[in-house]
Amino acid sequence: MKEDKGHLVTQAVKRRDFLKQAGLVLGTAGAAGVMAKSKEAQAVEAENSGRGYRETEHVRTYYELAKF
Amino acid sequence: MSANGDHRDAVAEIEARRAALYALLGRLLALPPDPECLDKLQQLQGDDTPLGMALSDLALAANIEMNTLEDEYTKLFYGMGQGGEILPYASYYLTGSLHDHPLAELRRDMDRLGIACGNVNDEPEDHIAALLEMMHGLIVGNFGIGVTDLSEQTRFFEAHLATWAGDLFMDLEAAESAVFFVAVARLGRIFLEVEGSAFRMAA
Repeated sequence: MKEDKGHLVTQAVKRRDFLKQAGLVLGTAGAAGVMAKSKEAQAVEAENSGRGYRETEHVRTYYELAKF
Repeated sequence: MSANGDHRDAVAEIEARRAALYALLGRLLALPPDPECLDKLQQLQGDDTPLGMALSDLALAANIEMNTLEDEYTKLFYGMGQGGEILPYASYYLTGSLHDHPLAELRRDMDRLGIACGNVNDEPEDHIAALLEMMHGLIVGNFGIGVTDLSEQTRFFEAHLATWAGDLFMDLEAAESAVFFVAVARLGRIFLEVEGSAFRMAA
């Protein structure tokens, strides 16, 4: 069990290092500030009930996330 | 700040960037960008990784007239009453016809993951933009199931995107009317390649 867990952690680190090197941090530097959505947007989605796929949210989601 | 906190921030940042790229690509493929969107795209700066260069190319491509872009979008995705140059649906790419079993399989997974269809247009859910938006939602936890772990994301990616999205992006990059969407397609192809490799690494 212990070994398995160690293996998974190593794999996770490998994946993250790979993503970093692939440009997922610096490569997208222009898209700085892309973090979790604002509380306001979350509230809107909460109103829309738990089953959340709403294409009408496209634009909102995009602007919330991609604060360049 | 502790080393642990830094580590958590670094992890959160990578996952947030992944989510943002899915959201960005989903948005660009769902409908033509508006002027504000183009303006923001022009400010993108990438580094010298393939992904970074694709972002820089997209920033350059975003320097385009709205009318030209809307025409391009129409020719690519709607056509003049007889369909566009590109049919961006999983079912079409995998079976040659729309609304076939890949769509049924997707709907089963959507149900399981608590993803509902917004019904704001007539597009089937296996449209590339919807699938990219679903990946975004799985990462940030927009759906009934909440934030999903990597194995669930991998499963969804492998089942609904990995088998065809690369082909779609190659077709889009080479499509007759593609200008702005050459850059979108290249970003999509490179990003999904990176995602695919990363998922396999963690499997």
